[in-house]
Amino acid sequence: MNYATRAPKINRPNTVAVGTIVWLGSEVMFFAGLFAIYFTLRSVAPELWEHNTALLNVPFALVNTTILVLSSVTCQFGVFAAERLQARSTGPKPSQWGMVEWFFLTYTLGAMFVAGQIWEYATLVSEGVTIASDAYGSAFYLTTGFHGLHVAGGLIAFLLVIGRAFAVKNFGHKEATSAIVVSYYWHFVDVVWIGLFLVIYFLQ
Amino acid sequence: MRSNTVILWVLAVFCLVVGAIYTVWNLIDPEYGRVEWAGTVTLTLTAVLAAFLAFYLELVQRKQGGTLPEDSLTADIDDGDPEIGHFSPWSWWPLMLGGSAAVVFLGLAGNFWLSIIGVVFLVVSVVGWTYEYYRGNFGR
Repeated sequence: MNYATRAPKINRPNTVAVGTIVWLGSEVMFFAGLFAIYFTLRSVAPELWEHNTALLNVPFALVNTTILVLSSVTCQFGVFAAERLQARSTGPKPSQWGMVEWFFLTYTLGAMFVAGQIWEYATLVSEGVTIASDAYGSAFYLTTGFHGLHVAGGLIAFLLVIGRAFAVKNFGHKEATSAIVVSYYWHFVDVVWIGLFLVIYFLQ
Repeated sequence: MRSNTVILWVLAVFCLVVGAIYTVWNLIDPEYGRVEWAGTVTLTLTAVLAAFLAFYLELVQRKQGGTLPEDSLTADIDDGDPEIGHFSPWSWWPLMLGGSAAVVFLGLAGNFWLSIIGVVFLVVSVVGWTYEYYRGNFGR
């Protein structure tokens, strides 16, 4: 009898995770377009930037950024719980929390970020910076607005993943995978915001 | 997969180099003489796109603990036939999701009240699609 040697046992790449990363690659290019708009307008109309960036509330934006970065941390703890296949908490201590508790906390932090941004928009609009006021307004609201829409989409995704944890009797690898890919998305959106914050508020 | 990673790293370096050349060329051009931001940003972030995918695939490769059958010259066809994941044989939900998104955007372009109706359908389709294999016969 002559058999070929069997291929070694391997962990095949998770198609959902790899697919999500490839899609996030396309999201990089979406935001590349927005950054290109921002930098191009800034280079052709520096006087608008000088006038409008003075109205930005940088300390407030810094606090808001910190909230979003912290939400990425809590999201990752939720992923660790999902990887242990632990959906719910076994006790009140954070070390005993399951994915659901961590993701609810992440949701709260993310919602605080969005609420903070709405407050910031309202303040800026009352000071005369609107999407139609000038090129600065358009660039500012397009970049931060599309990012805000992504955050809002992520919040909905968190709710759907939490719902899946409640829908099954046994939290398994399929549920853990959806938690992990939502965390990929959330970290990506977080990193994009750090880029936007550095460009809009720090670099101005 | 190994070759995918290598190709993506090559692409990342290529885009980075081209981005640098593009930026410098614009700067030294006597008729332009400044950074052309659209091209610089896009080329640099294309490099980021390729590096991002290469980095992730490298992590996956390291974690899989061996060569995939499709990368191995001595593998048999059935070695590459494991359970890859769950794939829906058919579903109406994507169609409904696309239709509701179309209604939402039609509302944005025309009359806003149409969007409100569209959002209701959108919510139903998203929830329906996400939980399609979590209810009824598939509840577990």
